[in-house]
Amino acid sequence: MLKFIVRRLLGMIPILFVVSVLIFSFVRMIPGDPARLAAGPDASYQDIQAVRAKLGLDKPMVTQYLIYVKGLLHGNLGTSLKSGRPVTKVIGSRFMATFWLTVASMAWAFVIGLFIGVLSAVKRNKWQDYAGMFSAVSGISLPAFWLGLMLIQVFSVQLGWLPTGGFASWQSLILPSLTLGSGVAAVIARFTRSSLMEVLKEDYTRTARAKGLPPNVIVWKHALRNALVPVVTMTGLQFGFLLGGSVVVETVFSWPGLGRLLIDSVAFRDYPTIQGEMLLFALEFILINLVVDVLYALLNPQIRLE
Amino acid sequence: MAKKGMMLVLAALFSLSLVLSGCGSSGNTAASVQAVQKHGKNITVAVQDNFVSMDPGDTNDTLSFSAEKTMMEGLIGFDREMKMVPVLATSWQVSPDAKEYTFHLRHGVIFSDGTPFNAEAVKVNIDRLSDPKSTLKRHSLFAMVDKTVVVDNYTVKVILKQPFGAMLNNFAHPAALMVSPKALQKYGKDIARHPVGTGEYMLKEWVQGDHLTVVKNPHYWRQGYPKLDSITFRSVPENGSRIAMLKTGEADFIYPVPPEDVQAMSGANGITVQHKPSIIVDYISMNTMKKPFNDSRVRQALNYAIDKNAFIKVVYSGLAEPMTSEIAQNVQFFSPQQPYKYDLAKAKELLKAAGYPNGFDTTIWSNNNSTYIKATQFIQQQLAQVGIKVKIENMESGTMDTKIWSVQNPQDAKIQLYFGGWSPSTGDADWGIRPLLGKDMLPPKGYNTAYYQNSVVNNEIQQAIQTADPAQRKAAYDQIQKAIWQDAPWVFLDTRDNIYGFRNYLKDAYLLPDGSLDIQNAQIVR
Repeated sequence: MLKFIVRRLLGMIPILFVVSVLIFSFVRMIPGDPARLAAGPDASYQDIQAVRAKLGLDKPMVTQYLIYVKGLLHGNLGTSLKSGRPVTKVIGSRFMATFWLTVASMAWAFVIGLFIGVLSAVKRNKWQDYAGMFSAVSGISLPAFWLGLMLIQVFSVQLGWLPTGGFASWQSLILPSLTLGSGVAAVIARFTRSSLMEVLKEDYTRTARAKGLPPNVIVWKHALRNALVPVVTMTGLQFGFLLGGSVVVETVFSWPGLGRLLIDSVAFRDYPTIQGEMLLFALEFILINLVVDVLYALLNPQIRLE
Repeated sequence: MAKKGMMLVLAALFSLSLVLSGCGSSGNTAASVQAVQKHGKNITVAVQDNFVSMDPGDTNDTLSFSAEKTMMEGLIGFDREMKMVPVLATSWQVSPDAKEYTFHLRHGVIFSDGTPFNAEAVKVNIDRLSDPKSTLKRHSLFAMVDKTVVVDNYTVKVILKQPFGAMLNNFAHPAALMVSPKALQKYGKDIARHPVGTGEYMLKEWVQGDHLTVVKNPHYWRQGYPKLDSITFRSVPENGSRIAMLKTGEADFIYPVPPEDVQAMSGANGITVQHKPSIIVDYISMNTMKKPFNDSRVRQALNYAIDKNAFIKVVYSGLAEPMTSEIAQNVQFFSPQQPYKYDLAKAKELLKAAGYPNGFDTTIWSNNNSTYIKATQFIQQQLAQVGIKVKIENMESGTMDTKIWSVQNPQDAKIQLYFGGWSPSTGDADWGIRPLLGKDMLPPKGYNTAYYQNSVVNNEIQQAIQTADPAQRKAAYDQIQKAIWQDAPWVFLDTRDNIYGFRNYLKDAYLLPDGSLDIQNAQIVR
């Protein structure tokens, strides 16, 4: 398995290189002039030209690309056009906020989603199933901005229990992670339910029942383990998406995360920051896929890592 | 056991959804009444965007200036009406040819790092701003400075290359806030993260994208100030969240407040919402070089065809005033003109006289934020009444910038109608008129999206900056405003209000007409 992991990690290098070229050219295809945007709304023509020269945007595209690649090889993602700070620092400070929000959201969403999914599968077509799937559909359907503002209205404005936003303490994690996780919990619940129902029909489940094993042991120890493979895939994907930051939740809760940074950077045509973030997202997805593959093997020994 | 646990979870989920569906209807009425009292002297200000830089000369957003002004002061400042008032300079003289500006400086002032404030410190700052090599975003405000001379320890003279009558306003501009020379040397380019000035407060910490906190400056020169221990600025992009913070007391001051929320907020929970006229004007520019807008009768017809009061009601919930000149009332040398009344008959008559009895087809460009979308839709509906069929193109601002400013030759310009706003950050008529309607300011050089070229206006614009004599400048701007108003290169719409909310115990915190925050004198009254 170790060999597999090392090989996969080495395989990342060419992928990231290709991604970097694509991102570099794509961001420059967006119409818009970063120098004009950086110089400000009422800047004079001279100011705009000075900013263009200062940011190196007057150089030919190829030169700009070479500078970018040279920086990349030294672990330098360039300087943000907007704030003038190194991109690694700009992204680094936002990454931790997004990371903790993602972890908190995924943690409760996975546990609750799994519970509801298992319950619905076991009590198929009983009221527990209907209730579980009703909450799941609600979780998917509730728009995050509405849910977020309602949670603020109830728990911050009326009850005064939790802060309205910001990233200051563990309390400030509660409302945003509830909002962000509700959709994920719902998806996990639905996946778990359908996957588990399939597994419960399998022969080995019947054998286990015939053997006289208690129903709880059959569900939680034997069936669920096999049912988890698609759930883990989906959870990994969701984890990756959340790590990209959520614009809506970050906006509603004033969360200093990566989603808002990306939107701000695109609006500002802050090429180096956009490039840095996209590269980070690509890296995150590659790593998450790797982790998911390893988890497959742990869950189901029949799956071999090649 | 496991079953019981699951039941509990389900029960919790159900009750949550019940609570949520319940508060949809009763959200506003059930707001708990809290005692509006403040403990301690630390306040929080919730703002919309993130701070970009704390280097005044390299700043171009009003928000960053707002925080800079708590830590740094300029030679001259603006009062509530945008009138110039002495700050670090106690008095000044301007030579009749508007080329020499002499400042007498305040004694006994030190920067918060202990560096004395004197003529040498001013020279370091002005030299930095006027040096093109320092590549500051606000260099153009000081590009015409030839040299700065230290006359004595507390007198400094700035000499310009050519006369510029509006120069005092540039010294009052936040870009000219004085930075400690020692800090400039110590931090170099990093000064944007380590601002040091003579202001009421000093930087404590700045967490990018989250908050910026300033604390009391113990060396501050004005007796009895500052009145607070600290001010924390928080970036809260969502309007609803900002309002919630003001209601819970997590924020003591918020801005902006969307016009449509003002009514619901006023008076609730010991909150005050205020709105004051800004210097931001909304206008539609018409491409005066091309048909049909090359005829002033057509341009006047559009001015008559739009009901400005209805526009203000629809777009700004009534919180704006119709424009009475190209510049807003709080801009220097404003002189009111005779408004174009809403008069469809007159508009039709003018269109007929110009040869468009059945109107024509045209296109309007504007930004794609919700306010601008609403505005352009209203304009479309109004102009349809006189037969002008308007196609709306709302664009993301970077995209629109390219469409407007990548045009090198005026003949190639595709722009017809353009809806936009302008805020002259120096507070002087020059920056409210010249960049927008001056002959040398056609795109890509400037912001003259009307491609307006009137030699009479242009001569007067030049006259007005050849002198620093207020009487002469006023006479020139009176003529300019009158001529432009009649020529109507724009549809003159409105001056927006600045709207902000605060908790009642907060005093002396307000927005200036230019949209920047004046909070350095704020105090808490119990």
